[in-house]
This record gives sequence, C-alpha cells and structure tokens, in this order.
Amino acid sequence: MEDNIIKIENLSYSYPDGNRALSDINLDVERGEALGIVGPNGAGKSTLLLHLNGILQGSGKIKIAGQELTEKNINLIRRIVGLIFQDPDSQLFMPTVFEDVGFGPANMGMKKQEVAESVRRALEEVDMLPSIARSSHHLSVGEKKRISIATVLSMNPQVLVMDEPSSNLDPKHRRELIKLLNKLEMTKIIASHDLELIAQTCSRVVLMENGKIISGGTCPNFLAEAALHC
Amino acid sequence: MNHSFIDEHSHIDSMLSRLDPRVKIVSFVVFLFFIIFTRSDSLLRFALYGLLILILIGLSKIPVYYILKRCFVIVPFILMTSLFLLFGNQGATFTLIHIGSFQINVAAAGWTMFLSVMIKGILSVLCLTLLTASTPFPQLLAALENMKFPKLITMILSFMYRYIFLIEDEAMKMWRAMKSRSTGGSRLLRLRAIANMIGILFIKSFERGETVYLAMCSRGFDGTLKRTYHFDLRKHDLAFLFNISIALISITILDNFLGR
Repeated sequence: MEDNIIKIENLSYSYPDGNRALSDINLDVERGEALGIVGPNGAGKSTLLLHLNGILQGSGKIKIAGQELTEKNINLIRRIVGLIFQDPDSQLFMPTVFEDVGFGPANMGMKKQEVAESVRRALEEVDMLPSIARSSHHLSVGEKKRISIATVLSMNPQVLVMDEPSSNLDPKHRRELIKLLNKLEMTKIIASHDLELIAQTCSRVVLMENGKIISGGTCPNFLAEAALHC
Repeated sequence: MNHSFIDEHSHIDSMLSRLDPRVKIVSFVVFLFFIIFTRSDSLLRFALYGLLILILIGLSKIPVYYILKRCFVIVPFILMTSLFLLFGNQGATFTLIHIGSFQINVAAAGWTMFLSVMIKGILSVLCLTLLTASTPFPQLLAALENMKFPKLITMILSFMYRYIFLIEDEAMKMWRAMKSRSTGGSRLLRLRAIANMIGILFIKSFERGETVYLAMCSRGFDGTLKRTYHFDLRKHDLAFLFNISIALISITILDNFLGR
C-alpha cells in the first residue's frame, strides 16, 4: 500500500464565473498525518477541500488511497474521505440527529441494524449519545459541530477533512473540540484561520495564498511565519 | 433563537404518543371520513364526535388550550368559505338580515349547511391538530413513507421542518438589523427595504439549498432518502384502532336510533 493516502498533482480550478480559485496545486498527505491548511480569506482553502471527495473537479490528478479520483469511483472515494462543511446548518439537514448521523451509512447500503450501530458508535465518539433523538435545530452551535463530525465518523472514513471547525465556538467548546480532534486517529486535513487550533492538532502546515500553496513546514516552527500572511 | 414547534408537546409520554404513528394516521383519517360524511343535520353525532375528540385529547395529556389555540388559527378560513353558504340557498326563509335598505334572505337550508360546514371544519381541524401535536414530526414523515406516500413530498416536508426555523431566524436577524438602522424615514423607503429583504432571503435560501445538496452528495446521496426508522405493530396499537372504529360505528348506530 502506498504511504501517501492523498496525492494531488498539478490541480487547477476556475469557478464558472472565470475566477481562478486554484492554480497548480501539488500536495501529498501521508497516512495518519494531521495536516493544517492556513491562509487568508479567499486563498482557495475551501475550494481545495471540495476537490478531495470530488464535489468539484478541476484539471490535474488526485489520487486517494492509491486510486485516481474519477466519476466512476466517486462513491468509493466519498467513503474514504469524509468532508465536514463549515456551517453545521448545511451539514445537518435531516429532522433528527439519529437520521442525520445515519444518512451516510444508509447510503452506503448498510442494513437498519448496522446503521443504528454505527450511529451509536459515532455519537459515542463525540460524546453526544444522549442527543440521539433530538432535532438538529434544537442543538447549540457546539453540539451541532460535534454532531457534524459524527455524521462523517459514522461512515468510518480514512481521512477526515474539515473546513473551519472552530468558527463560532466559544473558548470552552473550542478546547473540547481540540481534545476530540486529537483523540481521532485517522488522517486529518483541517483548513482554518485558528492558528492555535492548528498548532495543537496538526503536525504539518501548508500556507495558501491566491490559489497556490506558497510554503509549508512542520507545525510549531512554521506557524510563526504563516501568521504573518493570514 | 427560540421558536414554537408544531410538535412541541409530542414528547409527553401518553397512551396516544406511544402508539405506532401509522395506526394513529389511519385512525384519524378514518375519523375524518366519518366526520365529513355525516348528514348535515345530525347534531347529536357531531356532539358525540366532539366528546370523542375530547377523550382523545385527555388521553394525549396535551393541554387543551394548546390544541384549541392551534385550531382557532384556522377557524377564520373555515368561516370565510362557509359564510357564502348562508346566502346561496333557495327555500323557506330562516331569517332576514337588513343592511340599510337592503334585505338579505337567509334560507333555512343555507343556515344548516353553514352550521354543518363550520362544525365539520372545526372537528376535522381538531382531529388533525391532535394527530400532529401528539406525534414527533420526523416519525409522522417516516410513517407516511412506510405507508407508500410519495417520497418526494415527504422529502420536501422533511427539509421544510429542518430549515423553516433557520429561514425565520435569518429573516428576524435582517429585520433587527434594518430596524436598528432605520431612524425615521418614509414608509415607502421602509417598504422598499422589506422588499429587498424578501429577495435576499430567497437568494440565501437558494444558496443554502446548494450547499446542503453538496453536503448530501459528500455523504453518498444518490437521489433517494433512505429512512432508518423501524416500526412494529403491537397489540395495543391494534386495540386502539379497533376501539376507535367501534366508537365511531356505535355513534352512527346510536344516532340512527335516536335521531329519527
């Protein structure tokens, strides 16, 4: 098996309105690594993340777990890469927490019993099991963030991709989130402005600006330099 | 922000809330048909139906004022549609209404029709209110889907239930932001601002729809929503269905004997 779970070669992408969001991205992510992506607003961080499970498809090559991402294996790739959107109100769209966390597993073709089991396991992992029967719109922001993570964990992904996980969180919930992220052992890719969160959860960081990766380095040392850019 | 929800009392533990939602839907729909097909002059039957609904409300442990409050939101609509029945009928005069020099003839048949439509309307709304108030909305949807109700409609309802409060929140936030910046100004100006707000709300909802769809695709959505609810029909569900049917049939028979 290849060591690099994600391999991106010469990826470029322009939005339909002509705005060039990514140009010539090359990035390798090792299995089990926690990678932080930092950069100012509009640098292309979110656009890059949307490529990792084929929501957006630009020119260039993306290999996930040794397989090239194409239209054909997109369902398989989406089981490997779990993407969590920044706004939990977009991530949570079903009427109850149970149905939301079970949405992915049900789409994977699991039986009812297995779906229920993976929902329980995922909710237990994020400490939200007591909320299993609640409605998503009754949850607080911190709870919504946790459930958002569970919606992807229930699919047992190998890579967890998160866009601004700490936005709108108060310090206490932010600390809890960092603890939770450190507990999860799969490969993680986190895009954020929250440099402190990146410092505490990631081992390597890349810096994006104007749709390009301009530099990168190991976590504590490189962040001071990155801080000047974002 | 906090809102009231259509199923805010649905978590009260009661005999009615423990029922299989499918049985509840069937029972209440049967009840509705009985109400609708009652002859318009059978006041005794209407009274007994009312009594039956009261008993059911009692069994649900939902506060009566809550059901009535919800029900009376719809009463003006029923009144508006049935009001015309008063004047549309020929036949023996029941009463005459004088408005200035005009004289309006209200026929006896029209009056009975008006009354029966009002009563039927109110009883039906009470029935449906009790059904929706005593069942968590997601369960109601799952039950409908289980009973082969078109999935597209249950999906639309499901998203409505999830997002209507979010849209309300967004509207409220914009409203507050507008108010905190509008000091005086003409009414026309404010009206224009409100029109813009409605437009923005549409665009925001549209964009929200796009991201939600992407989030769904990320988790393997393939066009059909797969429900993970599991229902079982137990003895007390069937007993409830049986009892309701017996009660409705007895009311009909009783009315046939006494009402003639």
